[in-house]
Amino acid sequence: MPPRKLYFENVRVGDELPPLSKPAIDRVQIARYASAVGDFSPIHVDEAYAKTLSMPSVVAPAGLGMGFLGQLVTDWARGATLRKLSVRFVKLLWPGDTLVCKGRVSDRHGQDGKYIVELDVWAENSKGELALRGSCALQVFYSAEDETRQRNGQGPVVVNVARESILAEPDTKKAAARTAGEKTGKGQKLAAKAAPKKPAKPAKPAKKKR
Amino acid sequence: MLDRHAVGRSTPPTLNEVEKGAIRRFAESVGDFNPVHYDEEYAKASGFPSVLAPATFPASFHTGVDLRELLGVPVRSLLSAEMSIEYERPICAGDRILVSARVAEVQERVGPAGKMEVATLEEEGRDEKGVLIYRARKSYLVRPKEGA
Repeated sequence: MPPRKLYFENVRVGDELPPLSKPAIDRVQIARYASAVGDFSPIHVDEAYAKTLSMPSVVAPAGLGMGFLGQLVTDWARGATLRKLSVRFVKLLWPGDTLVCKGRVSDRHGQDGKYIVELDVWAENSKGELALRGSCALQVFYSAEDETRQRNGQGPVVVNVARESILAEPDTKKAAARTAGEKTGKGQKLAAKAAPKKPAKPAKPAKKKR
Repeated sequence: MLDRHAVGRSTPPTLNEVEKGAIRRFAESVGDFNPVHYDEEYAKASGFPSVLAPATFPASFHTGVDLRELLGVPVRSLLSAEMSIEYERPICAGDRILVSARVAEVQERVGPAGKMEVATLEEEGRDEKGVLIYRARKSYLVRPKEGA
């Protein structure tokens, strides 16, 4: 099955990524991840050792949670080039934790044929607490036509799109984003944080050049 | 207690070969079954030269020196606080990446639980011609001494 692609022209600020619900982290997964990255720190793999440190059990490597966010983004961004993934580990991850990973488009901009989509991403644990939060930047083609042109060695489709953000969007989009933020509680904070990046001038509507 | 003289300590570039088997095992361990990490034809149809490494795959690269040795702290005492990776291009099977790390910062921060120490490492991966492939920045909290 040929992969579907994500194109700039189809992305809007405020778009939500389909949430990724991960199965509960267990000790087998921790062992496999430890092996895959070659980090056998006993706090991740030796239960008896962890208990001597007064921890309730081994703790999952933080990188595993970041890996979940990477999966969320790569699944959504089909064919895009990841430019940046930045994550803050808010809570320790424990065996039994089920994380739900979420994301939302916080900005999009294009200049000289280079198109960037920015995301806020985060993961909530079984208690509904924010366990990880971060951001991400992806480079995408403007459209299928742009991709075909570039893959054939022609110049890119050039559409200059100023930085947008949730606040620069039309009222309907703004309201939708706000509602989405209220639903999760945490999302709203993330959205509010993204807002100050917005330039003073309003975003120009994207016009496609043929 | 962190060794303040650790700032500036670095590791020489160490070769990491990106193997399909390693990508598969990494993706499986995360529970990530996107075919772009397993199936070469699918990856190519998605625009990548070969099987794509997961976003956080650089976590598996080695730098020749243990991080705790670099910082001069005991094995149990580091907790990841933040990690950021910037990619110049996708990392795919067949890449040969020279990875080096350096201690960028050792700081004391005051948090809700009192004073904490934070160590920040910078890592970069380059190809054999010296062209940058990725840069990573990782911060660790140093756990207070046990028994306190």
